[in-house]
Amino acid sequence: MRARPAPVALTLALGLACVSVPAHAQSLALRGATVHTATGEVIRNGTILVREGRIAAVGPDVRVPEGVPVTDVTGKTIIPGLVDNHSHIGFAIGDVNERGTPFAPRYRITDVLSPDERYWKDAVAGGVTTIVTGPGSGAVSSGQAAVVKTWGPDLEARILDPTGGLKIAMGGKNPQTGPGTSMATTALLRDQFTKAREYGEAWRRWEEGGRAGAPPARDLDMEVLVRVLGGEERVRAHVHSAHDILSIIRLSREFGFDLTIHHATEAYKVADEIAESGTSVVGLPLFIRIGLTEDVMRSPAMLVEKGILFAFHTDDPVLQSKYQRYNAALGMRYGMDEEAALRAATINGAIIAGVEDRVGSIEVGKDADLVVIDGPWYELTSRIDRVFVGGEVAYDRGEVTR
Amino acid sequence: MIGGRRWRRARGGAAPRRAAGSVAAVLAVTAAAMRVPLAAQDVAIRGGTVIPVSGPRIENGTVLIRAGKIVAVGADVRVPDGVPVVDATGKFVMPGLIDAMSYFGIGSNDLNETSAPSTPHLRAIEAYYPFGQFGGGESGPPRAEPLLAGGVTTHYIAPADATVIGGQGAVVKAAGARFEDLVLREPAAIDVTLGQRPANTFRERNARPGTRMAVVSHLREQLVRAREYQRRLEDHEALAEPERRTTSRPPLDMGMEALVMLLRQEIPARVQANRTVEIRGALELAEEFGFDLVIDSGIEAHDLAPRLVRQGVAVVLGPTSHPYVSGEEVPDEDEYPDPDERRASRLHEAGVEFAIATFSRSFGSFGPGANRWLLLDAALAAGYGLPEDVTLRAVTLAPARILGVADRVGSLDPGKDGDVIVLDGPPLSVLTWVERVFVDGEEVFTRER
Repeated sequence: MRARPAPVALTLALGLACVSVPAHAQSLALRGATVHTATGEVIRNGTILVREGRIAAVGPDVRVPEGVPVTDVTGKTIIPGLVDNHSHIGFAIGDVNERGTPFAPRYRITDVLSPDERYWKDAVAGGVTTIVTGPGSGAVSSGQAAVVKTWGPDLEARILDPTGGLKIAMGGKNPQTGPGTSMATTALLRDQFTKAREYGEAWRRWEEGGRAGAPPARDLDMEVLVRVLGGEERVRAHVHSAHDILSIIRLSREFGFDLTIHHATEAYKVADEIAESGTSVVGLPLFIRIGLTEDVMRSPAMLVEKGILFAFHTDDPVLQSKYQRYNAALGMRYGMDEEAALRAATINGAIIAGVEDRVGSIEVGKDADLVVIDGPWYELTSRIDRVFVGGEVAYDRGEVTR
Repeated sequence: MIGGRRWRRARGGAAPRRAAGSVAAVLAVTAAAMRVPLAAQDVAIRGGTVIPVSGPRIENGTVLIRAGKIVAVGADVRVPDGVPVVDATGKFVMPGLIDAMSYFGIGSNDLNETSAPSTPHLRAIEAYYPFGQFGGGESGPPRAEPLLAGGVTTHYIAPADATVIGGQGAVVKAAGARFEDLVLREPAAIDVTLGQRPANTFRERNARPGTRMAVVSHLREQLVRAREYQRRLEDHEALAEPERRTTSRPPLDMGMEALVMLLRQEIPARVQANRTVEIRGALELAEEFGFDLVIDSGIEAHDLAPRLVRQGVAVVLGPTSHPYVSGEEVPDEDEYPDPDERRASRLHEAGVEFAIATFSRSFGSFGPGANRWLLLDAALAAGYGLPEDVTLRAVTLAPARILGVADRVGSLDPGKDGDVIVLDGPPLSVLTWVERVFVDGEEVFTRER
């Protein structure tokens, strides 16, 4: 995995972290569960201590300070809040694709995020506490995604990264207006990134020349691409077929940008090339099942084996957010080991989104985003009892009547 | 329970009621007569946790099959000398699964005859293609591999889902020595679709019926015609000789013949209806015309649960985890809302008889061969409150009863067909695989490792 220099995103995330501790942040302890931390060993009969919304301690022998309420969860399983690295919830579905223009990096999904959107609740009920939500694949670039928590009283505080990656969609788009073929889409991207280099160069010359004369005319699309070329924002590439996967990897080499390929149906056919390039994969929502071949079902295990950083996603509304847990379950069914499958539904998605300092695992200092389940986390017959976000109860099955 | 008893007419080999128009029955009778499976087998499956579905599970049990039929199930079954033994120690053994609604084996050009809103004379069996890929594969007995891989040994095939009266469905097995051996029951039902699907089909060409109202009205018109046809037939049959011989029988109408089977309660209507409006319409018509009814998909069926119970109408639910049932690329959200995994448990709690089915296709967004996910899809309903034994029943004995084939399949009981699956773990675990599948005692699928 290529190191990810993301100063702006990181600064922003930290900045938000400082202001997002709610005044009523909770302290509590959960005792007796089997804890899958995602990054460390499985802890039997473990205790998780939460102070002011963050994990203060986790282990088999945690001393709980006086006054902190203890909930007995003996026999339950606790996993980190799930991370869904590719989703389209949180805004009206009619806003997912702006088809008027084939290339619009300037659009931002944060401009249409709504706290009232009904699917947030379903995501939380399914244990998904952090998502990357963004525009669709109707254009070659439809704009920038955002990293958002699924629950919390204040939408602003829920946004972990308002510029959570530039969406690019490989493959032909519109035969009438173009690009109508894979070739034309790739050519358009090469053209735009070349222009972005020149645009960045023009600004650099202006800055270095003591800002003499008029500055170059601003171009909002080019500004985003310059950030991408500078490693401040990652490309999220929607891509299905093996040849398009190779094309986008080629472009990332030519221009030196950080790349994650999404859906990546045929990633398994070019797994070595993906591994060598350090590209991460946000892989097909397996729980769709119908229409997916057995080869595709087996591919997550194979990609992980090759050392590729791999995360599951739901692509909601393609697959509902609440089924993210079952993507990992099917990953296991098709050869991933339990902890690798869990990582692919939690920490890996957080790393790819650049928010692994906040979410994705049960570690001291991280947000207390926790899912309590009444059996093995991967079984379809197991039920989610409770979901905590920032130490607060975001979902309680006992209280839900639908 | 709906009138399963009445449906067994054809299989028992009884003479068809009407000399003419009983081609369907003839085929079924022929099939029944010829149903001595060429490869009928003896086998004993021993040592596993046996889940008969009809009774409590048996640890370290044995299922003994002779000549393709189950002869004994229990903990202390003596295996006669010479009967091959399959060791199922540590495994789970249960009846082959039944997918109560599927279009598998019906090609994209063969599903839905849209030249007319109603084609009750069409028979799904005549479109059924269990021979693998066209122009590929080898000679041999038919094997619906995608079904067998998921443990499905019996399924219902329907001829349509986008016209009003699509035709006649059939209950077939997923493996057999020859095509005829596959047929368990044919015709098994009249397939009807209400709501927006058929309305869209005809509205697109500016034809009738183009609205939900017109769809229901069209169905009613067909049933009225069938009733008149039936009366003319019966009037003719009631004539005393020699008048009867000298008066000509009403002109044969194949479609009306099919609907008369429905009115005589020889076969039920299977009505695909999702919204309360459509389900209510189907229930009204069933009462008005006195036919047996099964609701297919039935997304809002629980809203009418008391009436379903009162009228003895069962529901064949669509997939637990998928939001729509008709292979639509862009589903209508009104008619195919988000999945609600609690639908099965709600019907169960209300006392409605139901099965869980895949509505799988051979092509498109609900295919190919989604049947293999039946058990796992049912497990999801269990995750949302459906008790485990009810869940297993919903993919075995419940569909067998709804399809009118419970005397042959659906549970591990002496006298039933030797359709048995061996699983490598508990049936509802996501990690469990179907390892071996037996149909009529013959091993027809073995999982590669």
